[in-house]
Amino acid sequence: MTPIAGAVALNLAFGFSILSIICLFIFTLNEDKRLFLTGQRLSLGISFFVFLSTFILWYQLIISNFDIDYVARYTSIETPFIYKISALWAGQSGSLLFWLFILSIFATITVLQNQSKHHGLMPWVIISLSIIQLFFLILTNFVTNPFMPTDADFVVANGNGLNPLLQNVTMAIHPPTLYLGYVGFSVPFAFAISALMNRDTSTLWIQSIRRWTLVAWLFLSSGIILGGWWAYQELGWGGYWAWDPVENASFMPWLTATAFLHSIIIQEKKDMLRIWNMALIILTFTLCIFGTFLTRSGVMSSVHSFTASSLGPIFLIFVFLILIISFSLMYLRKSELRSEKRMESFTSRESGFLFNNLVFVVMCFAVFWGTLFPVISETVRGTKITVGPPFFNQINVPIGLILLALTGVGPLLAWRNTSKQSLIKNFTFPILSGLIAAIIFLFIGFRGSVVISFSLSVFVLATISTEFKRGISARTKKFNESIFKALFAMVSKNRSRYGGYIVHVGIVFMFVGFTGHAFDKEKEFSLTKGQSDHVAGYEFTLLKLSETERPNHYAWISDIRVTDNKGEYVTNLYPEKRIYFHKNPDVNRRQPHSELDIYSTLNKDIYSIFSAVDNENGVVFIKIMVNPLVRWVWIGGYILVIGTMIALWPRKD
Amino acid sequence: MDYIRDYSLVFIFFVLPIIFVIQPLFLKKINDFENQMDLSSLKRKKRLLYRQIKELEMEFDIGNINQKDLETSRKELKVEVSEVITKINANKI
Repeated sequence: MTPIAGAVALNLAFGFSILSIICLFIFTLNEDKRLFLTGQRLSLGISFFVFLSTFILWYQLIISNFDIDYVARYTSIETPFIYKISALWAGQSGSLLFWLFILSIFATITVLQNQSKHHGLMPWVIISLSIIQLFFLILTNFVTNPFMPTDADFVVANGNGLNPLLQNVTMAIHPPTLYLGYVGFSVPFAFAISALMNRDTSTLWIQSIRRWTLVAWLFLSSGIILGGWWAYQELGWGGYWAWDPVENASFMPWLTATAFLHSIIIQEKKDMLRIWNMALIILTFTLCIFGTFLTRSGVMSSVHSFTASSLGPIFLIFVFLILIISFSLMYLRKSELRSEKRMESFTSRESGFLFNNLVFVVMCFAVFWGTLFPVISETVRGTKITVGPPFFNQINVPIGLILLALTGVGPLLAWRNTSKQSLIKNFTFPILSGLIAAIIFLFIGFRGSVVISFSLSVFVLATISTEFKRGISARTKKFNESIFKALFAMVSKNRSRYGGYIVHVGIVFMFVGFTGHAFDKEKEFSLTKGQSDHVAGYEFTLLKLSETERPNHYAWISDIRVTDNKGEYVTNLYPEKRIYFHKNPDVNRRQPHSELDIYSTLNKDIYSIFSAVDNENGVVFIKIMVNPLVRWVWIGGYILVIGTMIALWPRKD
Repeated sequence: MDYIRDYSLVFIFFVLPIIFVIQPLFLKKINDFENQMDLSSLKRKKRLLYRQIKELEMEFDIGNINQKDLETSRKELKVEVSEVITKINANKI
């Protein structure tokens, strides 16, 4: 298929999106079902043409058709196959097309899944999704078209190639995962808007989108964790989270979405918090669009901004339109949204959930303020004030610890009201466990937030185990089952509840990993062959320095032996210094890159960076970091994914 | 032969989708549509209500709600289920 076919498919998708909106809007007025079916099929048509244009662009990337500007900019003949595939989201127009591609997958699933369901909600759901598709189709058709021909009057023999930082397997997975999360929230948002348009603010729309929200949340969480993993493996500063604007852009919708996932339980069970839930899903979706704006506009300087453009104002207008229209609708439906039920007690699960929601939103606001403050200060006062990790850590560490504590408190509270006796019965074991842990940690020599974090982790794990124990004993008494059978039956019959608890275990493990950051140590030094240096009780000896040429880069490889303070062998590390595009005659276009090597254990990571090489004297410049407990963050991530999958697993009715 | 291939591709990828999209406009008026949709929504609602009753009993078993709350909420849910079942039966007839 030629690139022209791709561009035509995008044009047709644009036309179909307008027709779909018109058809379904007329249907909402005259209820002619033929218009509904046509609108539904137009929506499927939009997706079909988006799929077609995406596959055509992928094909052009694979065959290295440098007549297309996008292909020439982000790939070269030497680019490995997997990175030709991932080049689709490496640049601006491609990544916007990719956003649209994922949205079209979700829109198709939504339409097909609900062909004979939610007939009241579906017209406005499809209209909302088509409007979002229309926005991205305007961008990809008229602002930044991925099928633009190369602006050169000669045959382009080779392309620029992909940025070396993006030539990493994690980076091939991280953006799609994150996008699946961002885009996934379009569906719950569309249902929310539809509920508002239909004046149907019962729990129906909540029940329809719970699974969707969880899927989007799973992808967003995985995307954030993978992003941290990529930063840790690739960027070479020894950390996984730097409160970078683009990182924050993904974290903000995660916070509001997590709050939403908790508060919809209250609406489902108690029919409360209708306004709050509407506001949360609108905010979450808006923050997803805002996140795309931050990543793609170039308004923020970030390690993740691989493109900068003039898209900012268009995105900003869309963000404001979403906010104005959604909140105006909420205002117009305020009487329908008002719930008759009220919280009955401060010590109830409803109150616990509401409090946890407030903390999530406060944290989101703190991150939002810190992220945007440099832009606001530059606009208002003309000087850019940088807000760095110290600000975010100062604000968010205490808030994070409160959230961790609430993770433990929530499950122990009863619905409506928890009696004094229940409070004592439920909290005695977890609080005692936390206190004993605190005494032990203080005795070991830990202080401050480290002790609080570790003790709260123990407290939360104790509450979760208490919950499992209560559930198992209830089943063993009622059905006379063995412990394992009771555990299996309990989890499989209450997947969302126990899946949620497993997610909480994952979060606790991640907090343990975050706390390890307090003990990080690092040192930079130079070595010649046979020389040694020491960091955090380890000895590092340079055994060998070798060189090699690979298809897309030239590399110097150091071989460093690591021994502990008793002189016992630990591992060999092989960090590399690479030059990408080394064959390019223009020296300025050759790109140096440090490829790390990490020795990872449950206890600590030894992180080595090959900073520079002095070829003449055979000297290598090395940076070593010893980072305790980092692996717990990744283990926590795996557990979080497993827990969410359990919660998502379909049940037999 | 290239032009045959090209026209075939254009027909498959561009003309067929357009025919698929506009086809419902040439149908006669659809009558049974709403009834079918209502029935499936009601069945779904019934399933969700049964699930809520089971969850409620589980909450009671593990001590998260007291006897009084269990009875009140179960009664409310049962009333709702019976209303839904009545509607389903009416729809089937």
